Amino acid sequence: MASITFQQVRRTYPGSTRPAVDDLDLVVEDGELMVLVGPSGCGKSTTLRMLAGLEEVDAGRILIGDRDVTNLPPKDRDIAMVFQNYALYPHMTVAENMGFALKLAGMDKAERAARVAAAAEMLDLTDYLERKPKALSGGQRQRVAMGRAIVRSPQVFCMDEPLSNLDAKMRVRTRSDIARLQAELGVTTLYVTHDQVEAMTMGDRVAVMKDGVLQQVGPPLDLYDRPQNLFVASFIGSPQMNLMDGVAHGDAVDVGGHSLPAKAPEAGPVVVGVRPEDWRLSDDPDALTVTVTLVEELGSDSFVHGTCDVSGTPHTVIVRAPARGRTAKGDEVRVTTDPERVHLFDPATGARFD
Amino acid sequence: MTRRPRPLVYALLAAFVLGSAFPLYWSFIIGSVTRQRASQNPPPLLPGGHFLDNASQVFDRIDFWSALLNSILISGFSALSVVLFSTLAGYSFAKLRFRGSNAAMVFVVMTMAIPPQLALIPLLKEFSNLGLTGTHFAVALPWLVTAFGVFFMRQYLVDAIPDELIDAARVDGCSMIRTFWTVAVPAARPAMAILGLFTFMQVWTDFMWPLLVLQGSDVQTLQTALDQLKIAPGQTLTDMALLQAGTILATVPLLLLFIATGRHLVTGIMQGAVKG
Repeated sequence: MASITFQQVRRTYPGSTRPAVDDLDLVVEDGELMVLVGPSGCGKSTTLRMLAGLEEVDAGRILIGDRDVTNLPPKDRDIAMVFQNYALYPHMTVAENMGFALKLAGMDKAERAARVAAAAEMLDLTDYLERKPKALSGGQRQRVAMGRAIVRSPQVFCMDEPLSNLDAKMRVRTRSDIARLQAELGVTTLYVTHDQVEAMTMGDRVAVMKDGVLQQVGPPLDLYDRPQNLFVASFIGSPQMNLMDGVAHGDAVDVGGHSLPAKAPEAGPVVVGVRPEDWRLSDDPDALTVTVTLVEELGSDSFVHGTCDVSGTPHTVIVRAPARGRTAKGDEVRVTTDPERVHLFDPATGARFD
Repeated sequence: MTRRPRPLVYALLAAFVLGSAFPLYWSFIIGSVTRQRASQNPPPLLPGGHFLDNASQVFDRIDFWSALLNSILISGFSALSVVLFSTLAGYSFAKLRFRGSNAAMVFVVMTMAIPPQLALIPLLKEFSNLGLTGTHFAVALPWLVTAFGVFFMRQYLVDAIPDELIDAARVDGCSMIRTFWTVAVPAARPAMAILGLFTFMQVWTDFMWPLLVLQGSDVQTLQTALDQLKIAPGQTLTDMALLQAGTILATVPLLLLFIATGRHLVTGIMQGAVKG
């Protein structure tokens, strides 16, 4: 077992002026499942590929444990990787696919078979060992890809959007399977996804990236409760946080003629953020007045979408409300929140005000 | 239910098949009549009964079996060599990142625009300077790899192999050449079969180069051996019946090969077509 350390790691693709990953500093603790999340093109896959040794590193160092692996070929890094499209060898059986790395490493046949059988048992693949990948469902292929990683008992798992090719139901099931398996095996894991729900539900910690730059690292709830900048605030959470321009003065923020309670450190322009579930109905005439345009009823609760007039321009606001409420399209509701629920950001830099 | 093509389509296809098959049929007609009948006007349109006579004369006049063996050896070796090197090079161009890759590929394609006839004389001089003329090797050497083969395999492999599969092989511990054998070759198999067969056929039917490089040598391919049938001793006119009988004999092995591998070939071509 080992930790993973990125030290000032940079990668610029040939023909590009902007680095795909820029001076990344990140530590994944021993046995931890770290989820690397961000929109496409943010550098998360490049980061993972550099860890796996599939991508060159232009500057900085990557350590696994105390070993500097920056310039080692993939096979010498003691890692295993799970790919988005599974990347199974089509002409090999499930057993051959899972045992291939062991065969290359020169492990004798009996031990190889034993390891493959054990992994197959763990993943419920025993009945499929002699099949070719073509004859398997998406979920089974995904498990074979996991099995191929597990049999090597590596120090590090690299997972590149392993759930993206599964249908929604299978994805939810496999999500918990992978998290449980990882916890059982205790293998340090870097897991890349663009799906913030996967990040929130699976990660011991989550690292958010944007444009090649690390935005914030922390346990999922820290990111949710205290996003360090506007990007993380809008990226984490679904539906996303309501963000509005306002002006802070004293104990309140003025949002286009409406007033929200907040503890601003200083007077001046701010971006106000409130999560959909943090709104509550209010009788205060100064509260935010929202004209309902759509009610999404989920059964467990509902999301009320509306527009609010902010200094003459309509602004979309989403409010989480109890299920089966009486609010209907066209209604006007007044909402407010508590000062400790309000996130304030610097409009110039996007950084959080504390 | 599948829609049947219209009668016009059938008629066009039938005409096309007849047009393609007619030269072979014609060759057999001429090969199966006597020398006199072959040169008469109007020409014969139905087979005569002299094919076996003509064939036995062919066997008497030329060393057919040794020419057949030579053709099999040279065509087989060339086909294997073209497939191996084209797959290696095609894979490199399709999947490996290296400096000058695009420029080199453009150069390879550009060489296809040069007519092979242009190279005949310089190549012959070169071979003769090297003392290689008159050998099996001399016939096969220009066929070790072809620009078309490299281009064909590159086009096929670009889409046939997902990049992630190569990454997976690298993570699993494959060396570059092992990745080639494990990932590229299984994926390339249908294209390799087509390329091999086409190359075999091309070398088998090649006449000009072996004629030049084997001149006056004991080593003859089928095509150059047949050339010796053109002028019989004491005659001034080519015995067309004999020549066509020999041509049929030289084509039979090729037909057998096509029949044996036909299904494989068609699926291979279709795969290539669908992948685009």
